[in-house]
Amino acid sequence: MDVAAHPIEQHEAHDHIHPAPEGFIAKYVFSIDHKVIAIQYFVTGLLFMLIAGSFAELMRIQLWNPKGTFMEYHTFNQMFTMHGTVMVWLVLIPLVTGSLGNLVMPLQIGARDVAFPWLNMLSFWLIPVSGLILFSTFFVGAPSSGWTEYPPISLEQGPGGPLWCLAIIVVGISSTLTGLNFMVTIFKMRAPGMTWTRMPLFTWATFATALINMFATVALSAALLALFFAQVYNVPFFDPARGGSVILYQHMFWFYSHPAVYIFILPAFGVISEVLPTFARKTIFGYKMIAFSSLAIAILGFAVWAHHMFPGGIAPWLQIPFMIITYLIGIPTGIKIFSWMATIWGGRIQFTTPMLYAMAFIGTFSFGGITGVYLACVPVDLHEHGSYFVVAHFHYVVAGGAVTAFFAGFYYWFPKATGRLLSEKMGKVGFWLFMAGLTGTFLPMHWLGLEGMPRRYASYETFAKAFPDAVFWNRFESVSSFLMVAAIALVAVNIIYSIRSGRRAGNNPWGARTLEWMISSPAPYYNFKKIPIVLDRPYDFTQPLPYRNLDEVTDPYPVPSEAVLPRNAAGMGV
Amino acid sequence: MSQVAPSAPQIVTPKGLGPGFIPVTIVMTVINIAVMFAVLYLPLNFLLPSESNAASDSAVSIDGLFKFMTVFGVAITVYVSGYTAYFAFVFRRRPGESIYTVGVPIHDAPKLEFWWTLLPTILLVVLMGLTISVWKQIQFPDTAAALTTEVVGHQFNWEFRYPGLNGSLYSPTSEMHLPYGKPVKILVSSADVIHQFWVPEFRLKVSAVPGMVTQLNLTPTRAGRFDISCSEYCGANHSIMQGSLVVESPDAFNKWLAAAKVQVANASGTISLAGGDPGVGKTTFSQKCAACHNAGGTFDQKIVGPGLLHVTDDPAHPKLVDDKPPTPEDIAEILVKGYTGPIGAMPNRQANGLSDSDIANLVAYLVSLK
Repeated sequence: MDVAAHPIEQHEAHDHIHPAPEGFIAKYVFSIDHKVIAIQYFVTGLLFMLIAGSFAELMRIQLWNPKGTFMEYHTFNQMFTMHGTVMVWLVLIPLVTGSLGNLVMPLQIGARDVAFPWLNMLSFWLIPVSGLILFSTFFVGAPSSGWTEYPPISLEQGPGGPLWCLAIIVVGISSTLTGLNFMVTIFKMRAPGMTWTRMPLFTWATFATALINMFATVALSAALLALFFAQVYNVPFFDPARGGSVILYQHMFWFYSHPAVYIFILPAFGVISEVLPTFARKTIFGYKMIAFSSLAIAILGFAVWAHHMFPGGIAPWLQIPFMIITYLIGIPTGIKIFSWMATIWGGRIQFTTPMLYAMAFIGTFSFGGITGVYLACVPVDLHEHGSYFVVAHFHYVVAGGAVTAFFAGFYYWFPKATGRLLSEKMGKVGFWLFMAGLTGTFLPMHWLGLEGMPRRYASYETFAKAFPDAVFWNRFESVSSFLMVAAIALVAVNIIYSIRSGRRAGNNPWGARTLEWMISSPAPYYNFKKIPIVLDRPYDFTQPLPYRNLDEVTDPYPVPSEAVLPRNAAGMGV
Repeated sequence: MSQVAPSAPQIVTPKGLGPGFIPVTIVMTVINIAVMFAVLYLPLNFLLPSESNAASDSAVSIDGLFKFMTVFGVAITVYVSGYTAYFAFVFRRRPGESIYTVGVPIHDAPKLEFWWTLLPTILLVVLMGLTISVWKQIQFPDTAAALTTEVVGHQFNWEFRYPGLNGSLYSPTSEMHLPYGKPVKILVSSADVIHQFWVPEFRLKVSAVPGMVTQLNLTPTRAGRFDISCSEYCGANHSIMQGSLVVESPDAFNKWLAAAKVQVANASGTISLAGGDPGVGKTTFSQKCAACHNAGGTFDQKIVGPGLLHVTDDPAHPKLVDDKPPTPEDIAEILVKGYTGPIGAMPNRQANGLSDSDIANLVAYLVSLK
């Protein structure tokens, strides 16, 4: 991206830098700096990931034996409920957008902060509040009916149920506010010259995510408020004997929760679109197609929710439109995958840790996407629904997709957040551990599910009689799952080691071409001393580097003439 | 990475599509064709239960769809991962090369993008056509059902009802029976929370939703004994909510149904209530009934079921059986058959484990509650 500092006369009214706050509390606790908030999101997210991961490991220990005698069924049910709840709402939803989005998006568009910094702080602090409410349920009986909390079973679980609703409503408020904040930021605060088609693709993905956050989360809040009133005041929303409907909740819940999958996968797409060109040393292939396919996925994602309910009592004719729209999502997703492959074709690829994660993402995510087509197909779904095949599918999408891409982004932008590079050796060992663990844990779940193992089972004696190999594969999964734990522990070790003694990053350790790499690392409090002017698209690696360290620009800088490189005559798009 | 950036980076342009592109493509294509033949012609019993010996007509067509998707799914996976790995290898930065060396700056190829949008679209449209035809056959079968049965989900077992059977089969040990070769309709409902009726060998499942009746249509095709699993979380013992399904010849099925009729008729036959001991009945009540019923409260003082004080003469107590105030015989009938009403379901005597004398004692006790 070619940039120049902004001429001072254009923005005189607001082109001054506010002083950085003094004192520990203002700097690190109730900070309104998007970069500090990003780190706060990261630390809480990693902590919640470790807690939710340990719930998963307890479940894997339980499933070592088909009899499942390690803990009581009720405890096991609480474990999978809390594992799903914490991973979805306290890790995936806030972590990817909250940490990477907060850190990178304002820097990429050349802004000094998000549009509403105070709101941003509020959004973050709602997350630990929600976590406290959620974990307090352990003292009154944690909820046990799965992260989906379908009534009527979720009406029977004492005070844990309403507390769960409150906790998730609080997360919902947080992510709605973040969506609003990011949307306004991207609309209003792009540096001069940064048109929509000059925006980096991670920012495009963040924009599409903000759209979903704003428009889908209300449905979740409505569903959970209704559930809350049904639990506490016995309001008959979901009681057929008194005129309610059990299915109503599922419609409202999935109207949010399917788009929620895109809340964590779209920023992941954005990360991949940044990392691949940087380390392939080649401009992104099909910029416009990648940007618009994010929007297409975000919009189509609102019209597929009932595919979670195919055997669940919806009218048969209703299954077909939902199936067709779900199939259609395969098309923009395919366009992205092919564009990424074309991006690395003909590059000069450097095998850094972020690049390894990004290339692995292409394989694991497309695999998870393909099993999604199986589940969208009504007749095949009638077999696979509610089985371990579903568990395998969405773990490939979230662990093989969102988490893998998150690690790519984490290794990629860590130097920008801290000024130090992470250890590449530890990073690469961690990468292979994570991939081995991912494959070993979730790949066998596909055939366990197809053979007839239902999900959410604390014991599987009957199934193990029908399919004796089940015992071997479950143990194989249990062992493999600990490789993922080791990989995540290694990330924690790597952070602690590198923050003290990692190599200093300099402005642009990777030779990347987006704005955030043209200021020092860690970025100064004010980000840009002068707001830059953007003259061209990002990802042009044929330009010499660095163009100019924007930190050093203090005087009005003459605006260079527009066209820097002759555009490819082929133009963009189909 | 301490190299100094050159003022004009060196651009490396690959020859053609890359060294060895065509051999790599051929290898992947051969793998995919081999997988295709394996999926289409080898039994897939390791992936799908009794794939080579289908247990229902739906299983055959659903497996066909599964194979179609697997042929293309495997091909896409092999090409995507294979080319990604291949590109990573041939387009790697060579040792000693400057990190600022760049690849060929191609950022669009409209023809290529057109084809990689169109081909998946065509594939998905074909899949839609195939899916809709299979879906139509499963949801709206051409032939009318020769037998309609009912399945009711309870926490945590299945109740089976058959036409002409005065009462239902409802205990942890009871089995569902179906004849093979005849189209059956299974109506599914729930007495409490959402359950899901799944027979993996049939490749079909449907939720048991409170307040709704859902259905499955299929023709079992061979004899066998299959597990029925609950695949929607339904409470603490969800994982042991198993049932058994016996598919047998129509003759054997008819014999079984006749025997079941006799068994159910005997079970609900008149029980001598004489000699019931209210004291013993009180003990039995505290063991078997008190979890759901309040003996010291009137109808509205519910636990799960209604309070039972003044059960025979409380005007608020509904007239469940014959629209008259309950008689001791009515109470006995509910104890024998169980009851399903708007507030939930009461299990029958088999599920509660009540002997004839238990019932006589309980009736004596309940009548004495005044």
